[in-house]
Amino acid sequence: MSELDRRFDDYYAKRKFYGGNSCCPGCGGPLFWRMAMEAFGPRTIVYGIGPCAGCTMRSIKLPSFNIHFSFVADGASGILAAFRAQGINDITVISSAGDGGTADIGLGKISAAAERNENMIQVCIDNEAYMNTGIQKSGLTPYGSWTTTTPLGKEAPKKDIPLILAAHHIPYVATVSVAYPQDLKKKFEVAKEIKGFRYIHVVIPCPTGWRFDPAKSIEVTKLGVDTWLWPLYEIKDSVLHLNMKKEAKPVKEYLETQQRFRVMKPDQIEWLQKETDRRREELLTLDGKKLFY
Amino acid sequence: MVQVRMMEGNEAAAYGAMLSRAQVVPAYPITPQTELISFIAQFIAEGRMKAEYIKVEGEHTAMAAAIGASAAGARVFTASSSQGIVFMEEPLWMPPGMRLPINMCIVNRSIAPTGGLRPDHNDSLLQRDTGWIQLYCENSQEVMDTIIMGYKIAENKNIYLPVATCYDGYFVSATASKVEVPEQKDVDAFLPPYKHDWYSLIPGESKERPSRGGSARNRYEVQQANERAKKIIEEVDKEYAKTFGRTYDGMIEEYNCDSSDVVLMTMGSMTGTARDVVDDLKKNGKSVGLLKLRCFRPFPTEEFQQLAHKYHVIGVVDRNTSTGSAGGGIVSMELARALYHLDDKPLIANFHVGLGGTDVTPRQIEYMADKTLEIMKLGRVSEPVDWVELKDLGPVM
Ligand SMILES: Cc1ncc(C[n+]2csc(CCOP(=O)(O)OP(=O)(O)O)c2C)c(N)n1
Ligand code: SF4
Repeated sequence: MSELDRRFDDYYAKRKFYGGNSCCPGCGGPLFWRMAMEAFGPRTIVYGIGPCAGCTMRSIKLPSFNIHFSFVADGASGILAAFRAQGINDITVISSAGDGGTADIGLGKISAAAERNENMIQVCIDNEAYMNTGIQKSGLTPYGSWTTTTPLGKEAPKKDIPLILAAHHIPYVATVSVAYPQDLKKKFEVAKEIKGFRYIHVVIPCPTGWRFDPAKSIEVTKLGVDTWLWPLYEIKDSVLHLNMKKEAKPVKEYLETQQRFRVMKPDQIEWLQKETDRRREELLTLDGKKLFY
Repeated sequence: MVQVRMMEGNEAAAYGAMLSRAQVVPAYPITPQTELISFIAQFIAEGRMKAEYIKVEGEHTAMAAAIGASAAGARVFTASSSQGIVFMEEPLWMPPGMRLPINMCIVNRSIAPTGGLRPDHNDSLLQRDTGWIQLYCENSQEVMDTIIMGYKIAENKNIYLPVATCYDGYFVSATASKVEVPEQKDVDAFLPPYKHDWYSLIPGESKERPSRGGSARNRYEVQQANERAKKIIEEVDKEYAKTFGRTYDGMIEEYNCDSSDVVLMTMGSMTGTARDVVDDLKKNGKSVGLLKLRCFRPFPTEEFQQLAHKYHVIGVVDRNTSTGSAGGGIVSMELARALYHLDDKPLIANFHVGLGGTDVTPRQIEYMADKTLEIMKLGRVSEPVDWVELKDLGPVM
């Protein structure tokens, strides 16, 4: 066994996550779960999938349970009810789904679970397309992006799912990125202490679907945040808190890192820049304000 | 004390779930099931029933939540009908393969676009390939008893299959008939608390049965569990009779069949009418008996093979259609396959009645009995299925 192997094994022996998995090189999925798991104690279970079905899930060292891609937050509601019926109330239930599961096929399910204020942390593992089936557009695919079902680029912008969920009056909503691990872990720690339906949305890099060199995963993802295309914020009891207020880098810098945006025309890029600027202004004005009752 | 009351099928079902101490009830309303879940919500609100009611946004989620709850150690009850069952199709395939003993009432109702709110059996029969056990009930008492027995069958560790307790909307769900409500302590003695030997989602003691060897292996195991269930259904029925004094003759009831040349075979509420008609016909010297098929899944093949030689013709009354099929309704096709290899086998006559929940009238039953006798005389079946409803049979009675 080489020194590198030994270090690898030592490292993962201490994690709630096995080393090695079947995701593509550079995938943000394993990164995300390894970081998120740091925040949780041993009394945690995970329901659902993401990304790419079970490519990472299988490596989690906690009990996990899933039914199928189209089953979002639903089984977790059943698990919680069963625990309550048996007087078990010290187990944290994390429920996970991809962007397709969250924003499309399971949106009604998530909405209902949020309305019931189910005591779970619902996570959206957003790789911005249906990757498991080979890169088809989802409701969370960004404007202008190529996928196999949007060969000329996606016509509509990304659905604003975190705000849609916040409009359900749930106690906690947060956007996170694997490029900002401290922020990510902190938010999970905050979420863990809150009761009720908590929603955490992570955008993860997907070199295979986004078309870029896997070695650049973090760089690319960081640009997504730094251009304000994926702003990091929390909405606690309906009050917005921006976690990152730096100057915005031009969206073009981000778009140029990935082949999926190659189909975008200059006027589309211009429009996206304008919208992103407007959005940034809007968020800065709303910072610290109550968005919903 | 055993309480005796007039009760509609839906209330009887709610009592069945309460007496069985169902712990989690995820459900979504649909006519004619709605009253059932409203009763349960009311029982919980009054503190008479200790259960978690999950008010889901649709039937897909109802069954998904049922799956989660069942795997996490709770006894689960749910119910639906018609469009709700069809909407639930995707998750309906999961509990058999996952071996989760969920109990669901299918309050039968026909399916759109042609059906109305009234019953036929296509919604439940559509699920025949999933692996769910399917039991069909005739009246309120049978609904209540079947739910309690259903858990006992489903939770048997040699079975671990979900059970559908099926009963006709309106004719059973909303029609009051006499019901003896057993005492809770007797039900508790009959039905011990739920514990699944293969599952735990509790960290530290967690286990989830590894899926063994792919689809063929899994489906084979579900098939084997269905086979084993035949014996268990009969045993549980006998044990129930011993404890509560009521029996349903297991999977098939032979009613007034002694010295019958032919029999009609029914499922569900129409059986009640058929009993009366058969009694009258017998009095008038017609040699017709009645088979009530209680258990459609597992299909009681061996039992049919044993009783088949007694009758010249079995007239299958199919309250369902399988359009474009090899011939006739779903029950008749099952029966034909069950008897195919016998040397001494009856002819199978087949009738479609009560589609979309039209009344199955005494006149129609008499007509079907006469037809079945005619076929015996003729020695052959001339049309694959007789669409009785489309014939003018004169005055209803
Ligand atoms: C009901 C149903 N429809 C379609 C599919 C095919 N399918 C499997 S995964 C998937 C999309 C997954 O996308 P997402 O939720 O974004 O997860 P990802 O694979 O990108 O992580 C689809 C459409 C399916 N398995 N089930
Ligand atoms: S396709 Fe994308 S999300 Fe899926 S495993 Fe590969 S990199 Fe990860």
